[in-house]
Amino acid sequence: MNKITIANRNNTIFEVKGTKPLLSELRSQGLDLPYGCQYGGCITCAAKLINGEVDQRSQVALNNRQINNGYVILCVARAKTDCTFDIGVESHDKLYRNPFIDPLEPHELKSNIAILKDNN
Amino acid sequence: MDGLCCGPGYASPSEAVKAPREKLLYTIAIYTGTGIQKPDYLATIDVDPESQNYSQVIHRLEMPGIGDELHHMGWNACSSCHGDEKMTRKYLLVPGVRSNNIYVIDTATNPHAPSLHKVVDGAKIKSNTNLSGPHTVHCLGSEIIISFLGDAKGEAPGGYLHLNKEFEIVGRWENSMGDIPFSYDFWYQPRHNVMVSSEWAAPNTFMPGFDLEEVGHLKYGRRLHIWDFEKKKPIETMYLGEDGLIPLEVKFMHDPKSSHGFCGAALSANVIHFWKSKDGKWEWEKIIDIDNEPHPDWPIPIPGVMSALLVSMDDKYLYINNWLHGDMRQYNISDPHNPVLTGQIWMGGLLGKAPFVNGVKVAGGPQMYQLSLDGKRMYVTTSLFSTWDNQFYPEIRTEGGVMVMIDCDVDNGGMKINKDFILDFGKEPNGPSRCHESRYPGGDCTSDIWL
Repeated sequence: MNKITIANRNNTIFEVKGTKPLLSELRSQGLDLPYGCQYGGCITCAAKLINGEVDQRSQVALNNRQINNGYVILCVARAKTDCTFDIGVESHDKLYRNPFIDPLEPHELKSNIAILKDNN
Repeated sequence: MDGLCCGPGYASPSEAVKAPREKLLYTIAIYTGTGIQKPDYLATIDVDPESQNYSQVIHRLEMPGIGDELHHMGWNACSSCHGDEKMTRKYLLVPGVRSNNIYVIDTATNPHAPSLHKVVDGAKIKSNTNLSGPHTVHCLGSEIIISFLGDAKGEAPGGYLHLNKEFEIVGRWENSMGDIPFSYDFWYQPRHNVMVSSEWAAPNTFMPGFDLEEVGHLKYGRRLHIWDFEKKKPIETMYLGEDGLIPLEVKFMHDPKSSHGFCGAALSANVIHFWKSKDGKWEWEKIIDIDNEPHPDWPIPIPGVMSALLVSMDDKYLYINNWLHGDMRQYNISDPHNPVLTGQIWMGGLLGKAPFVNGVKVAGGPQMYQLSLDGKRMYVTTSLFSTWDNQFYPEIRTEGGVMVMIDCDVDNGGMKINKDFILDFGKEPNGPSRCHESRYPGGDCTSDIWL
């Protein structure tokens, strides 16, 4: 069991088994969370990880900058340790950016097309 | 309400132009991506100027769950089965891009308060057909085809779902996707045995938002595809290159004899005109090129983002939008090779030319629009797609979408914002929502096709 603390919901704590993705574990315990595709492709359920570690290898929505900024796709992510999150659109301050004003560096693209710095 | 006899729709485009004026409008409104934990809904809007509820939402049909991202929709029947008196234009099919569900909504039993008739389950569509990310709905005769942008895992190119008239899954419509890399919109013209399809991107690419760099990595489309409509397979590709980056909406002329059609390339902000030459060869050319506009805060000029286009029922005018610039334009296309700009209005947009319309602050820019059958009234909404809205117009989250009505001069050309009509979706009872595509009960300029 891991403890999941939701910082922007008065530090409410949930206990999860890690057998299902965080979205379904937390929703089944009554936490109201946004979601869309439920397979890790659409970003609607993104939350910001403040502390802890997750396994979200099957997500395909986030680019590397979003991952580096702590974003986690809850519909596919499982907690590996105790975690603290901010949830909902209040946590999306760095999720969306104007792509013309603030372009990505090659290493910040999605993992399937990113050019890693070490290879340059 | 559709016609004087027979099945749904009208005998010809010229009959459709003479139809009675629309009194109701059905418009998608979304909460997906807004932070408001409510279902997306179908808004019924009173557009009868004689009514005391004119310019108001009079009914809201909520979907059963949250997170669908309702987007485009289509009728179960249109003028393509005008000769079939057993058919009626009764149901709107409303897909959820993110949930994959298709909602079948009964608009005929009580046109003022539509009701949910059936849900085609998104998980079942995935398991039976390996499709996700539904977009364009067209009926063909009494059956329905819907373009999907991805496979069940959200990877391109997707394909086409075939539903029968009871809204049961028949399977995949197409016999082959050929080497098509992406899907999006499509339109067919049966007398030329042709369908044309366009390209956005894989759901996994566009749903999380727009990374400009992914265009260079060929994750977005730049082609149009010509199909053998009867054989249900693509036969030719038009490579548009830099002139056709992200070719989205595709429309043929309404005249079933015409082979002329148009596509708006969103990122290039160009209109591509295509047609069949006298020797039977499909040709294309760029006929409209909207210049990028400088902006003090942008390192590069702003592209128009021409996300939609529409041909009037009489095939005289082409309408386009520039979502980021904030303008709608009307072109006379009597000579489709040489369009003439005849009208333009500004509403919202990033260039700051019209931040307010009729006293309401416009978050977003002109994005989706529907034209009355007589061509005189155009209803325009401002939201593109939740994640893309959040990137370019973050204020839409708290301000919501807006619907504006434009008076179009069909005789001499020209567009003017109607002063008596405005609908502020920022004031919806559950909080600011975002309005998108619209349909009229009697058929509209983006649904009806003639066999």
